[in-house]
Amino acid sequence: MTEGSPRRFEYDGSPGAAQPGETLLTALARERLPILQRSVRYHRPRGPFCGIGQCTGCLVRVNGRPNVRACRYVPKDGDRATSEHAWPSVRFDALGLLDVVFPNGVDNLHGLRRPAFFTGFYQRVVRGLAGYHEPPSDAAAAALKAPVEERNVEVLVIGAGASGRSAAARLVARGLRPLLLDRGLAPQPVPGADLLAGTTVTFLPPASPGRDPPFDALAFTEPGRGVRVRARSVIIATGSYDATLLFGGNDRPGIVTADGALTLTGRGRLPPFRRAVVVGGGERAREVVERLGPHIQAVVAPGEIPPELVRAASDRGIRLYPRSMILSANGRRRVRSLELKARGSGPRFSLPCDAVVLAHRRLPNGPLFFQAGAKMVWRSGTGAYYPDVSEDGATSVPGLYAVGSAAGVLPSSSTESAARAADRIVGGTPDPRPLPRVSDSGRNELEGYYRELLRVPRSGRWIACACEDVLFEEVVTANASGYRGIEVVKRYTGLGTGLCQGRYCLPDALLVLSLLEGRSAPEVGYITQRPPTVPMPIAALAALSGSLTMETP
Amino acid sequence: MTPPSRTSYRTVVVGAGIVGLFTAHHLARSGAGPILVVDRGFLSSGASGRNGGGVRQQWENRATIRLARESVEAYRRFGREFGFNIWFRQGGYLFLAENARELDRLRTVHDLVRSEGLASEVLDPGGVAALVDGIAPEAVVGGTYLRTDGTLYPFPAVWGVYEAARSVGAEVALGVDAKGVSVRDGRVAGVVTSEGTVTAASVVNAAGGWSGDFSRAAGLSVPNVATRHEILATEPLKPFLNPMVVRTSDGLYFSQTMRGEIVGGLTVPHPTGTQGGAPSSIAFLGAMARALAGLIPRLGALGVLRAWSGFYDDTPDGFPVVGEDPRLPGFVHANGFGGHGFMLAPAASRRVARAVLGEGVDLDPQLFSPARFTTPAPASAIEGLQLG
Repeated sequence: MTEGSPRRFEYDGSPGAAQPGETLLTALARERLPILQRSVRYHRPRGPFCGIGQCTGCLVRVNGRPNVRACRYVPKDGDRATSEHAWPSVRFDALGLLDVVFPNGVDNLHGLRRPAFFTGFYQRVVRGLAGYHEPPSDAAAAALKAPVEERNVEVLVIGAGASGRSAAARLVARGLRPLLLDRGLAPQPVPGADLLAGTTVTFLPPASPGRDPPFDALAFTEPGRGVRVRARSVIIATGSYDATLLFGGNDRPGIVTADGALTLTGRGRLPPFRRAVVVGGGERAREVVERLGPHIQAVVAPGEIPPELVRAASDRGIRLYPRSMILSANGRRRVRSLELKARGSGPRFSLPCDAVVLAHRRLPNGPLFFQAGAKMVWRSGTGAYYPDVSEDGATSVPGLYAVGSAAGVLPSSSTESAARAADRIVGGTPDPRPLPRVSDSGRNELEGYYRELLRVPRSGRWIACACEDVLFEEVVTANASGYRGIEVVKRYTGLGTGLCQGRYCLPDALLVLSLLEGRSAPEVGYITQRPPTVPMPIAALAALSGSLTMETP
Repeated sequence: MTPPSRTSYRTVVVGAGIVGLFTAHHLARSGAGPILVVDRGFLSSGASGRNGGGVRQQWENRATIRLARESVEAYRRFGREFGFNIWFRQGGYLFLAENARELDRLRTVHDLVRSEGLASEVLDPGGVAALVDGIAPEAVVGGTYLRTDGTLYPFPAVWGVYEAARSVGAEVALGVDAKGVSVRDGRVAGVVTSEGTVTAASVVNAAGGWSGDFSRAAGLSVPNVATRHEILATEPLKPFLNPMVVRTSDGLYFSQTMRGEIVGGLTVPHPTGTQGGAPSSIAFLGAMARALAGLIPRLGALGVLRAWSGFYDDTPDGFPVVGEDPRLPGFVHANGFGGHGFMLAPAASRRVARAVLGEGVDLDPQLFSPARFTTPAPASAIEGLQLG
C-alpha cells in the first residue's frame, strides 16, 4: 500500500498530496491539527475530533459531493476538495464574529421574533447560515449510481477489530466462511473469511422468524455502494469509541479523542502535535501514553491514576495530574493551554499544550443492538447501555450475538467472548463461566466529577452538542424551564439531532441531566436510535429492489 | 410522570399534542376551569413532534380551506402571542402533476382556492423548474403553487402553547394514560387514568393516532383508523429549495427546513393500528430515495441522516371529527385530522372549545360532526387531498 506515487489533489485552491491509501484528513494534518470546518451556528473554528467518521470536524465537499468526512476519504488524482461554510476561508472566517457578538448564544426559540416586519429578513439570514455545503452536483450523484451488492451468508460478523476477527477465525476453523464487514478503510483480513472494508451496516432490523435466513441487513461501502446481506446469524463486534467531555472551549481545534489521535498517527506517521495533554486515568490513557509518548507532556485524570499508568508515564518523563478537573481550553483559535483545578479545595493551574487527547471513557458502539430490538441493560461503570447477553454472547434476539467491548466485555477477555459466540453458532457448548465485564453497579466516576464541576463558575463556551452547536447553558435553561427527560431536552435544544446521531453529546448530557433532574440516568431516558446508523447516500438507498419488508423496532 | 394534582376537573383533555394543548388554552382562558390535560407520553412524543411542519391552504373543500386559512393567520401571529419563534416561513406549497389528469384535478383545487381569495397559481413545467432547482426534465407536466402556504418548526409551537395553557391555569399531566371514561346518567362523569379516576363534566378526545382506541374504550363505535406514516431527514445543505413540494401520485412531500435538512415522506402501506409501535422500514427508505433521486437527480449524492414514523388518525371521508358525540353527552371529539392536525389545530381547537362550552360551532355538521358516522345518510363530501 505504501508503493506508488502520491495522489495530487486540491484543497481550497491549494495543491496537496496523499500517499496511496492515505486519507484526505491525514494528508491535511501532517504538521499540526488543522482547522477544517466552521461550526454550524456560531462559526467556531473546528478541526478533526473523532477520527472515525462520526463527528462534523472534518466535513469537506469533494468533487461536488457535500458532507464528505475527510477522515473517511482516500483522495484520487485530480480531486477537488473545498470547505464552504466560511468566508473568506475556514482559517479566517468573518462569520466567526457571530461567536463574539453573541457571547450567550442566539436564542432561536424565543428570539428573532420582533419587530414582525423583520421576520422575513431574520429567516433569510438564519437560513443562509444553515447547512455546511451547497447541494450536490449532478456529476457527484451520477458517480454514486451502482447496483446494490447482494450477499447471502451463514454468519455475518460486523466489525473487524480484535474480537470480530477472533470470531471470524474461529468460525473458519469450524468450517464456515463468514462475511466480515468493517468501517475501516484497511482492516486486517482473516484467512478463509470474506471481508468488505469501508463498509458500514446502517440497518439491522430484528430477525424475522418466518424468513429464511432470518436476518436481512443493509450496509454501504464507501464511497456509497449499497450492500444487502442476508444471514442466519449475526455477530456484532462493533467495539467501543472514546467519549467527549464537557468544559469551556471543549470544541477547540486541537482537542481530539484518543481514536482521533491514533487515527492520525501510525503507518510511519508522527502525530500532528508535540506536547499534548492526555485526559484519563485508565487503560485507554495508558495505551495513548505508550504509543504517542514522546509527543505527550502530561496526563490529567478525573480520579486517581493507577500504578501501571504512573509507571508508563514516569518512564517517559510525562507529568501526572490525578484528581483534576478541566475548566476550560484556551487559545485564540486552536487550543494553547488548559485551565485546570485540582479537585476538592485544590488550586487552579494552567498547562500550555498544542493538543488534548480525550481518553477518559470508552463507550460501546451500540446503535445496531437498539435497531435489532435486543434487550439492553444500563451499566453504570461507563454510564451506557449494553445488550443483555448470556455468557456465550447470545442477545435476547435469537441468532444475534454480541462480543467484545460492544457487549461490555473487558479487553482482556474479548477474544474469549468471540470464541464462545462462534462455538455456540456451530452448535458447541461454550464455557458458561462469567466473563469480566464493565460494572453494572455503583456510580460512574464522571457523576461525581460533574457534580463538583458544575459548582465551579463556568468560563468559555461549553459546547453540549458540537454537530448542532448547542451550548451547555441551553441544556441548563431547558431544565430550569421545566423540560424534563432527554427526549424532551433533545427536542427543546436540538442536542443529539446532528450528523453524529448523538454519539458524542448524549452520554454526557444524560449524566448531567441526571444530576440536574435529581434522578438516575435510566430514568432520564435514552433517545431512540433512529436508522440509519450513519448517513447513507440516497443513491445507494434508491438502488434497493422494490420488495423490502425489513423494519426496525 | 406528573400525576394530576386534584381529583376533580371541569374538563379533561386527552392528548397533549398541538390540538389538545390549543383546546386547553382556549378553555382555560375563557375561565372554564379547572382543566386537566393528560398524555401517555412526554411532550411532543406523538404526531405533534413527528410531522413535517407543513401548513397549506390548498384543499378540495371550501370548509377545509377556511380552517386552514385561519390557521395560517394564527401561525403568523404565533411568535407575538406565544413568545416562541416557530420559524413559520411562507415559502409556498407546490403541488406537482405528472400527467394531464392530475393537472386537471389540481386546476379544480386551484379554482376553488382562488374563489376563496387566495392567490394560487397554475405553473407550466418551466414555472415548476424555477421553484425546484435541479428537477429532472420531463418530470412534471405542471403544478399549482400558493405562496402564502408554508412550513413551521413544530417543537416550539408545542412548547409555546404548553406554556401558555399552563400560564392561564390549565394543568398538564404527562406520562398519564387515559384508559376510559366513567359515565353517570348517560353522560360523562369522569376519566379513568393510570393514576386513578378523576371526575369531569366533559372530556375532549384529542389523542391523535390513539383517539379511535380511546373512543372505543368509552364504548363509542368510531371509524377512526391509525395509519403509520414514515418520514426522513437528510444531511443539511445550504438553502436551495423554497416551497414544500407535494406529488399527488404517491404522496411524496418534502421541504428544506430552516436548518437546511430535506425533510419529507411518502405513502407506503403498513398494517393499521398503533400496536406495532412506530418503526422505520427499509421499504420506505428505498421508495423515498427513489422518489427524491428520480425527481431531483443530484440529491443522490446526499446522505439520509435519520428516519422515524408516526401515526395519522384517518377518517373515511378525510374530514376531521370536531364536536360533541350525540351518543354520549360530555364526550367531545377533536380528532381524525388525517395527518393534518398541526396545520388545522389553531382554527379547529377554537371550535372544539366552543363545543365543550356548549356554544354554537360554525362548522358544517355534515362534514365535521361525529354524528355523520352514526346517521344512515351517506357522507356528502370527501376531502381527498390527504397528503403533504
